[in-house]
Amino acid sequence: MDNSNKIKLLSKKLAASLIKKEASNEAPSDIENSEFFDKKTKAQMLSNIKEGERLKLLKQIDTEKDWEILKGKLQGSRKPTRYWTYGVAASVALLISIAFVFNKTNQDQNFDVPIIVNNNIEIGTDKATLTLEDGSNITLEKGTAYQTAHVNSNGEEIIYDATNNQQPVTNNYNILTIPRGGQFYIVLSDGTKVWLNSESQLKYPVAFNDGETRQVELVYGEAYFDVSPSTAHKGAKFKVFNQSQEVEVLGTEFNIKAYKDETNIYTTLVEGKVAISTADKNQILIPNQQSNLNLETNSIEITTVDVYNETTWIDGIFSFENKPLKEILKVLSRWYDMDVIIENRVQTEERFIGTFNKSNSIEDILIAIKSTNVINSYEINDKTLTIK
Amino acid sequence: MRGGDNQFTLKSYKKLFESLYPQLCVFAYKYLNDLEISKDFVQEVFVKVWEDKITFQNENHATGFYYKAVKNKCLNYLKSKQYKVTERYELANLEAYETEEFYMSEAVVIETTAVIDKAISKLPEKAAQVIRLSIEDYTNNQIADELSISINTVKDHKKVAYRKLRGFLSFLTVK
Repeated sequence: MDNSNKIKLLSKKLAASLIKKEASNEAPSDIENSEFFDKKTKAQMLSNIKEGERLKLLKQIDTEKDWEILKGKLQGSRKPTRYWTYGVAASVALLISIAFVFNKTNQDQNFDVPIIVNNNIEIGTDKATLTLEDGSNITLEKGTAYQTAHVNSNGEEIIYDATNNQQPVTNNYNILTIPRGGQFYIVLSDGTKVWLNSESQLKYPVAFNDGETRQVELVYGEAYFDVSPSTAHKGAKFKVFNQSQEVEVLGTEFNIKAYKDETNIYTTLVEGKVAISTADKNQILIPNQQSNLNLETNSIEITTVDVYNETTWIDGIFSFENKPLKEILKVLSRWYDMDVIIENRVQTEERFIGTFNKSNSIEDILIAIKSTNVINSYEINDKTLTIK
Repeated sequence: MRGGDNQFTLKSYKKLFESLYPQLCVFAYKYLNDLEISKDFVQEVFVKVWEDKITFQNENHATGFYYKAVKNKCLNYLKSKQYKVTERYELANLEAYETEEFYMSEAVVIETTAVIDKAISKLPEKAAQVIRLSIEDYTNNQIADELSISINTVKDHKKVAYRKLRGFLSFLTVK
């Protein structure tokens, strides 16, 4: 018999009865009336609570400090490297074609050898271009450093410091542009963290005016926002604009995907609450919901999604669940900065479940895709991939 | 950031941790008599739940799960070779430790202690002192003496406390 689930309830009742009694001899507590423990045990329990030894022990525990220790372990345990100690082998094993699993339509083995001519497709890296107020551009990439009074970048991330910025100037915007084959991490002056995916552009003020709504623009591309809460900024809301929609936030984590070459904008809420509005529509999202704004029909569709698949790119992993190959190839083309030519459209409608590490080479991934027999072969020439 | 329905984010997991961690450490200490090992074991359980993406239906379920997991970890350790090598003596009352009665009564005593402490911590300092003494079976007269205040002030503090804790105390009437 397992009574574990009763611990909380019994404790709350006992605590309430102990606090409420007027004097020691009155109002026998609930636990004394209950049949759960025998009489001797009940008496011992009450005396243990009153005597206070456990309370002293409780006070010795430094929960905040131990949380920091635990947090390190939790974050460590979720680092891609840990999951990916098997490297390429694991990603190959994890890439499965739905057709292969459920339909087995492509049973014929084929031995077409891929043709590789001068493979210039490189794995993506941390890089970006910073455009300053005056229009000048600064290239940020590994090994370069950029520093001013209120900005600091080591070439892999850029941090805006609020404390060094005594006099915020309105309308003073910087633009961060992430090319294909790039990704970047930025901390805005209010402490909001933004992860930017390949082929994305973010426009943001160098400093926010205290108490005023904080506004940034995801001009295009994909970004994951971890917004510094309004409570830390005199209630100032945070808004993310885009050509076609506006997301209003009160301190939360969410992902927006608004690529130039796609007709849909996807907003995925991980934590908190956001309100999305378009020219004529308003929609509230709760965690694990994704809104899909179709720019052609101007309709918004809300679905429940596994946010892991939608947001894990910031942890260095691309995760696909039941995604058509053509969509996977689109994501790959951005990260590997390559052009993709598809010769047989039908194949690329096949759906896949799969995960791969962003540090995999393009060939490792193609070998995995080909091993499912969904594609016959492929060809790489310079920076172009042809799916046959 | 964590995927799926009901799964923990780092933020929500921190809340759960704060609401359970201290008492679980003291609970483990009652088996192990060593606070450092107790903390390690409790943290291991928290890591395991996170890694295995275990989800809970409600607070009762979560609390029960952690107490049980910590208990099992402690008992396994007490029975392990490692323990027998490092400790000079064999545990005389291991059998008593293995009973459901010891488990449930210790869990409820520690959890109750924590629940009371948390509730009282929301009160003004004097009201908290009055309630604390009242729980230790002091009469109103004795409390007045102890805190050098009048008996009516004691009663006033109690009233304030009951009013502030009204939501919490309603547990008495709901099943």
